[in-house]
Amino acid sequence: MSYLTSHSAPSGISATKRITIYRDMVLIAAGFLALSPLLAMHRVTDFMIFCIFVMSFDLLYGYMGRLSFGQMLYLGTGVYVSTLFSLHFSPNPILSLMAGVVGGAIVAGILGLIVVGLDGASFALTNLAFNQVGFFLIGSAFQKVTHGEDGISAGVEPWGFLDFANEYVAFGFVLLCLLLTFYILRILTSSPYGIVIRSIKENESRVKFLGYNTFFYKWLTFVLAGAFAALAGTLYTLYVGFVSPVFIGPLNNVEVIFAALIGGAGNLFGALIGGVLFMAMKDSLSTHITQWEWVLGVLLLVIVFWLRGGVTGLIKTMYNYGKAKMAKRAAVEVEKG
Amino acid sequence: MLNVNGINVGYGRAMVLHDVSLELQEGEMAFIVGRNGAGKTTLLRTICGLMKPSKGSITYRDDDTRGMPPEKLAQKGFRFVAQDKKVFSDLTVRGNIELAAYAAGEDMPQAIKKVLSIYPGLERFMDSKAGGLSGGQREILLIGRALVGDPRLFLVDEPTEGLAAIVIEDIFRILSKLKEDNVSALIVEQNLSVVSRLADRIFIMKEGKIIREISEKSEMADTLALESYL
Repeated sequence: MSYLTSHSAPSGISATKRITIYRDMVLIAAGFLALSPLLAMHRVTDFMIFCIFVMSFDLLYGYMGRLSFGQMLYLGTGVYVSTLFSLHFSPNPILSLMAGVVGGAIVAGILGLIVVGLDGASFALTNLAFNQVGFFLIGSAFQKVTHGEDGISAGVEPWGFLDFANEYVAFGFVLLCLLLTFYILRILTSSPYGIVIRSIKENESRVKFLGYNTFFYKWLTFVLAGAFAALAGTLYTLYVGFVSPVFIGPLNNVEVIFAALIGGAGNLFGALIGGVLFMAMKDSLSTHITQWEWVLGVLLLVIVFWLRGGVTGLIKTMYNYGKAKMAKRAAVEVEKG
Repeated sequence: MLNVNGINVGYGRAMVLHDVSLELQEGEMAFIVGRNGAGKTTLLRTICGLMKPSKGSITYRDDDTRGMPPEKLAQKGFRFVAQDKKVFSDLTVRGNIELAAYAAGEDMPQAIKKVLSIYPGLERFMDSKAGGLSGGQREILLIGRALVGDPRLFLVDEPTEGLAAIVIEDIFRILSKLKEDNVSALIVEQNLSVVSRLADRIFIMKEGKIIREISEKSEMADTLALESYL
């Protein structure tokens, strides 16, 4: 496990890098706080939960290069495990949250053993197939427990100050979870583990030649992505309080894929920007255009043909262009002077 | 040290290697020479675990390594440097070395020292993206990276292919240094000037078979005679 968090190497987590991460976390918190007066606070809370989900997907797709059409399965597992836990074991929100996350990680751990050996279309479609099975189990096979399409209310009760009916508390708690997710993923992706999974994305067989058991790294990443997706799911349970099979619907995978592409895959800021932009577009477009999804289709075409790096890629390109232009101007002035 | 005994290897039903046998001694630098399509790369890929022979055996220090996965062979000290000169282009040169150092459990300063010992010029590219290196620099990085940890056997596929003459000399110097350090290596190479100056033994391959094994110094120095096999 020392590969995951080794601090000894130059590209491990130095003190400077940690300060940068803390600065980024302050910026993210400030950004969401600034959004809340512009949109309703409960919408921003929704946005943040979705952003956690996008970050979980980005770990798998953006960092490790494995496109999954089945990430909703883990979000749905988090939703249903935490809901059923709150109804049958304890109404404590923290325990329900932990149960949901552990449930998502366990399901990902088991299915990961089957899917991480695959790649490309096989990986994407096998995940979709498992998601479809999960949807069927929740919606039909286990209807007595889950109430199928009718949905089910969670039994979570307030615990101390943690009352999710209070939108300020909900906002603060979800923001805390988002910052914690960002911190953990930043530390992991900057560590040697992060270097290994990015290298797997580029050339897996060469990583094997260096002596790495790539299966283990892929499985671990799959489990982490599942656990963070489940975290987003449990937050929906705590916040919305009512769950239905829509939270595990395979068709909704399109949303997280879109969000990651819009923001720029392989970059946690991209996941956050993409998550916010996607949710904002979904909110505003759906109120003005009946078939609003076609706008997303056009946007996807623009991204695929002209903006492969998404919004963060565009910002980076513009920054580099500006920097090069300024350097050129400075060189001309030195020559003149 | 390395014994390949009568292996047959194919892609599906098409057999590429027929009853190939060779032996490599500890500290020996051997070269495999032959025309395109002779099966040289397939032989290296089989030894390093990428392909499984349908017949025959491969042993390394009495361990049966036939069909062993590449990561296990890497842990045993096998180092494969492929022909395509592909580095991890999104990582920096330092990142590429780090990746090898973590796998081998070696300290970074020591790993960097090893890489720079064969080519100090790489130091100024340490924080540049490896994808921006020239073909020669990438080959040097790959060979340097293979030195990280405790390498026991180098399997190098056409290290000088497609490189300018001046870079070939750099590669030659690096291979000479490895030879001085008694590194065991099996190298596929078409540049006979390099082969004749460095080889302890030469295996000539043709149509999936080893048709000759040369270990006489005078014979190995005769590049004209060797050229007849290409």
